[in-house]
Order: sequence, then C-alpha cells, then structure tokens
Amino acid sequence: MMRWLATAVIAALFALNAYLPYSALGGRGNERSVRAHVAAAAQLVGQPLPALEFEDANGNAVRVGELLERPVLLTFERSVDW
Amino acid sequence: MTAAYRILCALVGVALIAIGAPLFASFFAYQQPGGEAPLPGGPHVHYFAATAGGALIAWGGALAAGAWRNELSRSLGTASAFAFVLLALMRILAWFNGDYYTDANLQRPLAAFFLLAALGFVWLRPARASRRVAA
Repeated sequence: MMRWLATAVIAALFALNAYLPYSALGGRGNERSVRAHVAAAAQLVGQPLPALEFEDANGNAVRVGELLERPVLLTFERSVDW
Repeated sequence: MTAAYRILCALVGVALIAIGAPLFASFFAYQQPGGEAPLPGGPHVHYFAATAGGALIAWGGALAAGAWRNELSRSLGTASAFAFVLLALMRILAWFNGDYYTDANLQRPLAAFFLLAALGFVWLRPARASRRVAA
C-alpha cells in the first residue's frame, strides 16, 4: 500500500516536471520564456522614451518630461519578485 | 535483497560520497590564506556547503554499507527515496521560481533523475521481513 502511495506521489511529480515548460506559472523558469520579450523590447532601442510617470523615494510623482532639462542616470535593479 | 538493489545502493552511496567530499573540503580550502574560493560565494556559502557535504558523506556511507547488510537495506531505501523526492521537489520549485534560469533547464532533468532514483529505491528495496511465529 505504502509502496503504491509513494509511486503515486513520484508519478505526480514526474507529471508536474514534464508539464513545467507548458504551464503559465512556470513561464518564468524557462530561459526561453524569460527571454521571449527581449527581442520585442530591443526594437524600442533608439526610440523616444515613453511618457513614464513614477514615484520618487519620498512618494512624489515624477514625470519623464521633468527630467529632460538635467542629466539623468537611469538604473535598473533586479527586484525580489523577478 | 536483490542484486539490482545492492548495485543501486552501492552506486548511489559512492556517488554521494564523491559529491559530498569536495563540498566538505571546500570549507577548509576557503580558509587557506590567499587561496581562491572553491565555490562561487562567501564564508556562509562554504559553511553550508560543507555542512551539506558532511551529510552527503554520511548518507552515502550508510547506503554503501546497506548494500551489504540486509537489516539496514529496507529502512535505508525508504529514507533515500524520501530524500530524493525532496531533492526533486526543490528543483521543480526552483524552476518555477525563475531565480535559477541561468542554469537553463538543468533543474528539470535533475528532478527527473532524482525521481527515477526514488522510484528505484521504492520498488527495488526488499520486502518486509516475514515475522517468525513461535512454535
């Protein structure tokens, strides 16, 4: 009985392992999927920056247009939920 | 105990010792003045790697010994199957997580390999010894 139970658990994990590349949840784990958007994003290089709006460290709204009169350094950091 | 189970225990036992020994040694290599870090990481990485290496050596040694001792082989098979399922589960979750995407799809073949090993331990381990009935 326990032997069959263990086999069922292992078989379920086998199935999950095989299904991973096709699952939406696992889309972040496959390098091909992770990089799928890079080609589309690369076409934006050289294009004008979109009219982004975000918050600074103090919670004040910052618009891209306000930054154009001075030198700007943009940095991109990996978040925890990357 | 079948010959196939004996071979499985011996092979896995030796492999675990072979993997665990360098991990254990990495801690001491890291302490060498002026030496290069054997593993990509700092003191805590080597600390935990050596801890895992010690556990792997103990596990592998028990399996290798269990290949020759009937009284150990069944419980060792159960524990090893459980451990391999945990190792596979960890890799499946790592694949989901995406933090390890630079390893391409290494997690999935490794998980499949560990699940196969678990299946081997489940099905090749000896049946429960029959109880002797007092005359």
